[in-house]
Amino acid sequence: MGVTAKLLKGTLYARGLRLGELDGYERLIAGIYGRPDRVPIVLQPYTYAMAMHGLSARRFFTEPGPFINASRNMAVYFGADSWSPVFDFYNIELDALGQKLIWRENSEPDVDTREPLIAAEEDLRRLKPPVPGKSGRMPYVIEAYKRYMDVMGIPPMAYACSPFTMAVLIRGYVNFLRDMRRNPAFAHRLLEFLSMEVVVPWIDRMVEATNTAIVVMSDAWASAPNMTVQMVREFCLPYVEKVIRATNSAMRTVMDSGSWGEKDVADPREILDIKMDMLTPGNSLKALRPFFLLVWNEDYEAVGIPRIRAYAEEKDVCLMLNIRPDLIEEGPVERIVENVVKVIREGAGKGRFALLLNLVPVGTPVEHAHVAVAALKQFGRYPVGGLEPRAFRMPSFRPFDEWLRAEGLPVD
Amino acid sequence: MDWEAGLSAAVAQGDEIKAEELAREALDAGAPPREVLEKGAVAGIDEAGRLWQEGEYFLPDVILATEAFNVVMGIVEPLLAGEDGARKGRVVLGSVEGDAHDLGKNIVAAMLRASLYEVLDLGVDVPAASFVEAAREQEPGIIGLGAYMTTTMRNMEGVITALEEAGLRSGVKIIIGGAPVTAEYADRIGADGYGADAVEAVRLAGRLLGVS
Repeated sequence: MGVTAKLLKGTLYARGLRLGELDGYERLIAGIYGRPDRVPIVLQPYTYAMAMHGLSARRFFTEPGPFINASRNMAVYFGADSWSPVFDFYNIELDALGQKLIWRENSEPDVDTREPLIAAEEDLRRLKPPVPGKSGRMPYVIEAYKRYMDVMGIPPMAYACSPFTMAVLIRGYVNFLRDMRRNPAFAHRLLEFLSMEVVVPWIDRMVEATNTAIVVMSDAWASAPNMTVQMVREFCLPYVEKVIRATNSAMRTVMDSGSWGEKDVADPREILDIKMDMLTPGNSLKALRPFFLLVWNEDYEAVGIPRIRAYAEEKDVCLMLNIRPDLIEEGPVERIVENVVKVIREGAGKGRFALLLNLVPVGTPVEHAHVAVAALKQFGRYPVGGLEPRAFRMPSFRPFDEWLRAEGLPVD
Repeated sequence: MDWEAGLSAAVAQGDEIKAEELAREALDAGAPPREVLEKGAVAGIDEAGRLWQEGEYFLPDVILATEAFNVVMGIVEPLLAGEDGARKGRVVLGSVEGDAHDLGKNIVAAMLRASLYEVLDLGVDVPAASFVEAAREQEPGIIGLGAYMTTTMRNMEGVITALEEAGLRSGVKIIIGGAPVTAEYADRIGADGYGADAVEAVRLAGRLLGVS
């Protein structure tokens, strides 16, 4: 079935018209628009997949084949509904611009903040925009997306770095704070360059290669307490809107996400309102497009899921929560199940809800991840009820190496 | 003296250019380096800390104040060499291996320096072996570990284990902090304390070393 048919089936299911069982992708779409058969589970395999396949960071983050196959294996092994090809998406455009990265053997590369590419204002004049799809590791990303489509039969969610976070990384956090305070004209010039000369052409290239329905700009630095609400409103949101207006279409959502900080402000709605403004400006046909409001565990644990759920319902948007990664690592099984039950009890409501398994720490026992997924599947069925952790049924699963030999895609 | 109010205000407002200018002017005019530090820079960073605690300052304000404090400290510290500065203790700080974030650590370092601790900042992405080496060679009273991602906070435990294996654990107090870190986690890995923010980290250091 083609992706359009899957989108249609998921959307219709969410509205009560059930055309057979849902597959994982259709379940996610149904969860975004309404009530699926159960809460959808999205996995970001990331460095856990890398470690489980014995891949070095250099191979995982530069070779599309091992990256996609290892990520896919992890998602299938754990039985996630959907997975996204998550690479170090904060670095791709920066790498293509020439920003130095720090490479390590067993974790993702990081921007070398000791040597920001734009150390002084005049450096911006010398900076050449990347050639979309050709500079740095952009070919790795494009090829990875193509392989994802070969393996999965659907376009991936595509990722870009937001202009604001890119500005912080390419300039250095303290330098950019000073720019915003003392030299806002330069800060705006930099953001304009990154938006229109870097991010927009890159999104266009990814869309050309994949025809994806959703592009997410990640914006970790647009978060409290590292930035104030006022800074984000003045220096981040206008450029999010610019990029969205330049790249979206009737069939495609471009959105900004990944920020946090609800627990770090007096009124969490200030941050939630910013998140909604990261989704909606320029996305005028929002009823036709997949959106989700993502809130991280550190924040929802402090603020309380019911408060966030009420906000999402008020705004008529799908709420996506992650499952606490360190808890999945540490266990024990009973604690993981209790946590899953709590998140479902308080978050699942009558639909428009999805759960994310992200950043599972390297070294996490596979049993713990299997338990998290099994608990989500057992207790996340709509209508949600009978949430008794003691009723949890332990899943059976094969050891990963054995499964890999029998059913995995090769990474070498 | 005019420079005191001006310098402390420049530090509190995070204006490192003005702070440097005023510190140099004060020193050129004969002000004792220790007074420039304590009545100017320390007073300024204390004011920034107070405004932060009262909710008037946000983290970016404190970061910039910290940077201004560090600029003045860089000018004054060499002039204090050899002076009996009545330091409260020596602290080794670093972000653990795999972690390139340093904002929180830098604030803690500045606040500790402002509170007259000697701070040896090992930087970011610091392997456990480097903490062991620093513990052996510098004999600090406290080692402070920062981690800012769930994926790197596990390496804090590795530092503690490495110190134990080197036979150095009993001679040093270990404090930890960072966004994903909790007091519960500190207990679990055998750290001596957890600081939720820089002000708390300074208080914790004082308690552990038995100084006010």
